[in-house]
Amino acid sequence: MTTATVSRWDRFRESFFWHSFKRDKVAIVSFAVLLMMVMAAIFAPLLAPADPYDLAQINIMNSELPPVGMSGADPAFPLGTDAQGRDLLSTILYGTRVSLMIGFGAVVLQAFLGILFGLLAGYLGGKVDAILMRIADVQLSFSTLMVAIIVGAVFKASFGNLMFGEIAIYMLIFIIGVAEWPQIARTVRASVLAEKKKEYVDAAKVMGFGTRRIMFRHILPNTLSPIFVIATVQIANAIISEAALSFLGLGMPETQPSLGSLIKSGFDYIQSGSWWITLIPGLVLVVLVLVINLLGDWLRDVMNPRLYKG
Amino acid sequence: MKKFLAAFVGSMALAAAPVALSAEATKELKVAYDSDPVTLDIHEQLSGGILQLSHMTFDPLIRWTKDLGFEPRLAESWERVDENTMRFKLRKGVKFHSGNEFTSADVKFTFERLKDSQDFKAIFKPFSGINIIDDYTFELVTSEPYPLLLNTATYIFPLDSEFYSGKTEDGKDKGAILKHGNSFASENLSGTGPFTVAERRQGVRVEFERFDGYWDTQSPGNVGKIVLTPIKENNTRVSALLSGGVDFIAPVPPNDLERIRNDKDANLVTMSGTRIILFHMNQERVEAFKNPKVRQAIAYAINQEGIAAKIMKGFATPAAQMSPAGYQGHNENLKPRFDVAKAQQLMKEAGYEDGFTITMMSPNNRYVNDDKIAQAAAAMLARINIKVDLKTLPKAQYWPEYDNRAADMMLIGWHADTEDSANFYEFLTFCPDAGSGSGQYNAGNYCNPEIDALVQKANVETDLDKRAAMLQEVEQRLYDDAAFIPLHWQDLAWASKKNVNIEPVLNVMNFPYLGDLVVE
Repeated sequence: MTTATVSRWDRFRESFFWHSFKRDKVAIVSFAVLLMMVMAAIFAPLLAPADPYDLAQINIMNSELPPVGMSGADPAFPLGTDAQGRDLLSTILYGTRVSLMIGFGAVVLQAFLGILFGLLAGYLGGKVDAILMRIADVQLSFSTLMVAIIVGAVFKASFGNLMFGEIAIYMLIFIIGVAEWPQIARTVRASVLAEKKKEYVDAAKVMGFGTRRIMFRHILPNTLSPIFVIATVQIANAIISEAALSFLGLGMPETQPSLGSLIKSGFDYIQSGSWWITLIPGLVLVVLVLVINLLGDWLRDVMNPRLYKG
Repeated sequence: MKKFLAAFVGSMALAAAPVALSAEATKELKVAYDSDPVTLDIHEQLSGGILQLSHMTFDPLIRWTKDLGFEPRLAESWERVDENTMRFKLRKGVKFHSGNEFTSADVKFTFERLKDSQDFKAIFKPFSGINIIDDYTFELVTSEPYPLLLNTATYIFPLDSEFYSGKTEDGKDKGAILKHGNSFASENLSGTGPFTVAERRQGVRVEFERFDGYWDTQSPGNVGKIVLTPIKENNTRVSALLSGGVDFIAPVPPNDLERIRNDKDANLVTMSGTRIILFHMNQERVEAFKNPKVRQAIAYAINQEGIAAKIMKGFATPAAQMSPAGYQGHNENLKPRFDVAKAQQLMKEAGYEDGFTITMMSPNNRYVNDDKIAQAAAAMLARINIKVDLKTLPKAQYWPEYDNRAADMMLIGWHADTEDSANFYEFLTFCPDAGSGSGQYNAGNYCNPEIDALVQKANVETDLDKRAAMLQEVEQRLYDDAAFIPLHWQDLAWASKKNVNIEPVLNVMNFPYLGDLVVE
């Protein structure tokens, strides 16, 4: 077993993938920043000085304290507090966690639906293809946000506010995941159409393999690289969608702020002195989305030999 | 000859000047409030927004002046006939927007409609009837001597009886008052006021145009057209004013007062207000709220001073009762009682140490920072283990929910329509009774007939010292019973561009008399 992992590690170290990563400074920095943010988010309960979801810890008398370094700051709140007296550092850590969970969760859901429908449509063709792709077309003609707003409003009305607060994060994963699957499905379908005419597929057919085995074991691995690229970009998109929904008041409830709802709650104060409530979470969101996009960009260059810059 | 002509033209211009003053009402005023009127039927809802609309499109018999005196409007003069009767003489030659002539029949129609209106009937309960003497004279009769008769007359905005009578094409009664329904009156309007409604799209904009046949030609007002746009976001509303997009905004959020004061093109007017903001605790929905200890615990858990200092930025006075200083019922001894340890102790004594879950609703564009106040209150209640499911709504959706008593704790702000303490109790703490309209806005279903009787007794007491003592006792008992959770009296602020002279038309009731507004 050990030799196998070592050799795999060696193989990885000698691969073009690792080689280009080592040489690309932007990719290294982006990866380091992303890793740091993910770690900070995962260990938020250990790192954060306060629990922002526990309303009993909030004191209104601490509201709108500026970050350390400005006059009137309190060292107990390194990044200051919001209008309700929540510690901003803790809230941002927890908020990043929520945003990342929604980003990854939504993309896993999208990828599951997108790959399944894309494979079926591309490989089986005919009526299945026509039906699935028309559904995708119809859905693509609505903007993601609109679909998400309608679905969100229906859920909110039918579950009540408290219930929605508890399941909001899963609802958002579901909403954003379902709203964006056609993106992946179309990419997969295009790759499948190209792959299925190749000899190895004919060979597999001649050998008598079943449709399912050919689809998932033979064709799917050969279409994975565009999926990786698009999934990375979609994570960033999902995080932005969540922030936009929360900013509009349709995402995470104010009692469990994500980055988006945090930005919204500070919006009233941005021009009247308390800029940090909006600006700091805003910067965190921008950095998070930027590094994911930069990594996605780099991944596309690596995985597409035609774009290889040499 | 030339000289003579110039003199002639000059004298003509002079003679025409006072007429020209009102005829040249050509200025356009862009107004941004936090919300637009929810209906055009001024008897459908008793609220600040609707009364502001009433003052724009209708005229009251008499109205409050800035220093809380009365000034004649549609009633030219009034005199007391006996201790229960007041005789009013109406102005002649007043026309409604529809062109109909205004007479005392219209006053009678309006008075009867007010007596039917769910929201207004409680204010008009002391009145037993109206006697029409002739076309321009009538008498208001009360069943007992009523010290606030003239205060109440400021709420009579005569409606065009001919316009509101009869049936619509689909057979509905034009005069019907339907709460949150689509009645004829909620979409059509004919009053005697300075402005007519030219176009209205609910929640988007309302356009008012100056009424050509407005009777008050002495009014200095020169605004010919008003465009009212609701802008719910505080920050956006202030930015709209400072960037020149609108001419007049209200309310001004407390955290932006400095910014507007420092802007050389803007004009800020503030007044300390008398509007109480409070929470009701619904005893019919939550069993625990029937226990006075639980209600007291909540009263001890809420930090009024914190809310006033931090969320309202000192732009409010922390309250422990409903009557503001200066009202007869104001009881000096009542102080905010924030004490978390005491609150936890009371919860323990009541047997709710582990707390419970409640729902809470608040508007998010009605009172200054209303949604933030509700959020802060929810956090404060978490300290005594009461978990709050908070929902904030725009006021157009909030009031229907309020009328249905849709949540366990609901936020409301109240300004005493009669500028008198008794009005607070009649609407907010009286035992709810749909028949008489008392307790119409009592979302707590708090009911103590003894206190109600005491208020009724105070209402017919003409010795002011005795009356004050009674009303102060009422405040004390409501406080001891924690019948509701008072938060603060909200201060008032308006802002405009420098060339809009808003100061003279504003008052503590927050009814800007826009008909008299002068734009330079």
